[in-house]
Amino acid sequence: MVQFQLLWEYFKQYMKARLEYRWDFISQFFTDLMSQAINLVFILVVFGHTQHLGGWSRYEVIFIYGYFLIPWAVFTSFFNLWGFNDKYIIRGELDRVLTRPVHSLVQVIMESMAPESLMGVLTGSIVMGWAVWHLPLDWAWYDPLLFIMFVLGGVAVYAGIYVALTSISLYSDSKSDIQPIVYNIGTYGRYPVNIYSKIIQFVLTWILPFAFVGFYPASYLLGNGDWKVYAMLTPVIGAVFFSLGLYSWNRGIENYKGAGS
Amino acid sequence: MLAIEAKKLTKEFQVYQSRKGLSGAFRDLLNREYRTIRAVNEIDLSIKPGEMVGYIGENGAGKSTTIKMLTGILQPTSGMLKVNGYDPHREREKFVRTIGVVFGQRSQLWWDLAVQESFQLLQKVYRIPHEKYEPHLKRMIDVLNIQELLDQPVRKLSLGQRMRCELATSLIHQPSLLFLDEPTIGLDVLVKEDIRQFLRDINQELNTTVLLTTHDLGDIEALCSRVVMLDKGNIIYDGDMNRLKREWGDGKRIVLETEREYELSELLATTEGLPVEWEKKASHTYEIRVPGDQVQVPEVLGRVIERGIAIQEMQLEEATAEEIVRKIYQEGMTID
Repeated sequence: MVQFQLLWEYFKQYMKARLEYRWDFISQFFTDLMSQAINLVFILVVFGHTQHLGGWSRYEVIFIYGYFLIPWAVFTSFFNLWGFNDKYIIRGELDRVLTRPVHSLVQVIMESMAPESLMGVLTGSIVMGWAVWHLPLDWAWYDPLLFIMFVLGGVAVYAGIYVALTSISLYSDSKSDIQPIVYNIGTYGRYPVNIYSKIIQFVLTWILPFAFVGFYPASYLLGNGDWKVYAMLTPVIGAVFFSLGLYSWNRGIENYKGAGS
Repeated sequence: MLAIEAKKLTKEFQVYQSRKGLSGAFRDLLNREYRTIRAVNEIDLSIKPGEMVGYIGENGAGKSTTIKMLTGILQPTSGMLKVNGYDPHREREKFVRTIGVVFGQRSQLWWDLAVQESFQLLQKVYRIPHEKYEPHLKRMIDVLNIQELLDQPVRKLSLGQRMRCELATSLIHQPSLLFLDEPTIGLDVLVKEDIRQFLRDINQELNTTVLLTTHDLGDIEALCSRVVMLDKGNIIYDGDMNRLKREWGDGKRIVLETEREYELSELLATTEGLPVEWEKKASHTYEIRVPGDQVQVPEVLGRVIERGIAIQEMQLEEATAEEIVRKIYQEGMTID
């Protein structure tokens, strides 16, 4: 509870500081919107040439994409850890963080969050709504609850993987280029995984389980029972991967060598 | 309970050694060589509550590494460490509530936020009750004279202004122990003096323990009765400042300006039997070096005047802490 109160305080301060650089704020907002629109147009173009993609209709794929945008937006807002190596390791800001009585990861997350990306939740909902309009879906009363659980699980999957990758910086101060690669793979989860080869499906399920962020839960919400077990596993996978991320972070802090003088 | 208690505290770093040239870089890719460096070597340190201790040493002597272990940032490689009764790294979140930290070279404040918003955020971070926070902060603001800086973003402050805000920040939760790493670096004389005065006051009023690293031995002379000197990861001196001066200060120097020029032998004769040295500095200026404890300055001067040397001006000089430290590093330490 205290941590949430703190998050709110940081959020207020962040917005204040962020709004000072107005154009930066607005341009970030529009960049997000643009990239979301381009992805949507891409899907529409593909379906201009074919009626089905791996057995999925146009609106189903759009639904999956819209769903994917929601955990993605939450993740990119709160786990904006791209600059971690530069800011916290090389410039030594982690030293400051470590002299404050709050868990170091919580502080880093609060200091680097980008709440404007939360707009993606809205865009995602609109895209989903548009798809639902054209689909004969029948939802049970508990589906909204499952939806929230799926979203949180998906965020946890992403967060766990990125926290683990970010904590590499704590062990070695050299820059690693693995983050952008994984980031790109991360976006694979927004398409039906059965269009990929078996190996990629395996990777997206068990190694870098991004399919749990988009496809598996969305397919369940679309009423397709083939991946139901996977969909239900989403929170479990989320918990496992987030724990791994947290563990590697905590170990990293023990290993932290400090910056310069 | 001691404020700081360390026994055989050691920190080692694995340093990656790169080979020369491009071909070396390729070999590094496959097989890296590491070397272990001992930055802090089995130091023992105990500091009582309310003490003000200066921690000095050359660059790379291990000062910062020690401070980082004491503040919980780094985990010691081995040895025992208790600060305010806590294991700083393992019990970090509880421990850091009891300490304040100022790193002169790095801000403890949020760069983009106005000073008062940083304070506000910290009140939440430390969960300081409102009724305790308000009067304390108000006093800090008055004493450090930062009222008009409160609505400015930290990045727009001058170094001296920032430093005063940093001090307020470090004391916002009323810690019993304060770590200052180069608190006066780059500041001009007046600001330095203000900060020293402020530190003396809080030490006296609140009995705050202060551990201070600095390159400016003026800070140490002004504040600390005790110095700990570090060289290559080892403590080479731990004791009071005056003793260090007595044993390493080479005594005092008397600079005389005389009315007319004297032969050195003439002057030498005046102090015959006393263990002092004369040196001619300029045509009318002479220096007498009076070593350690064996002879007193008044006795020397008495002799000189008695013999009718016409003195126009006189100055008494003492080795500065800076000179002493330089000398110790050059010659090596022999006293314990």
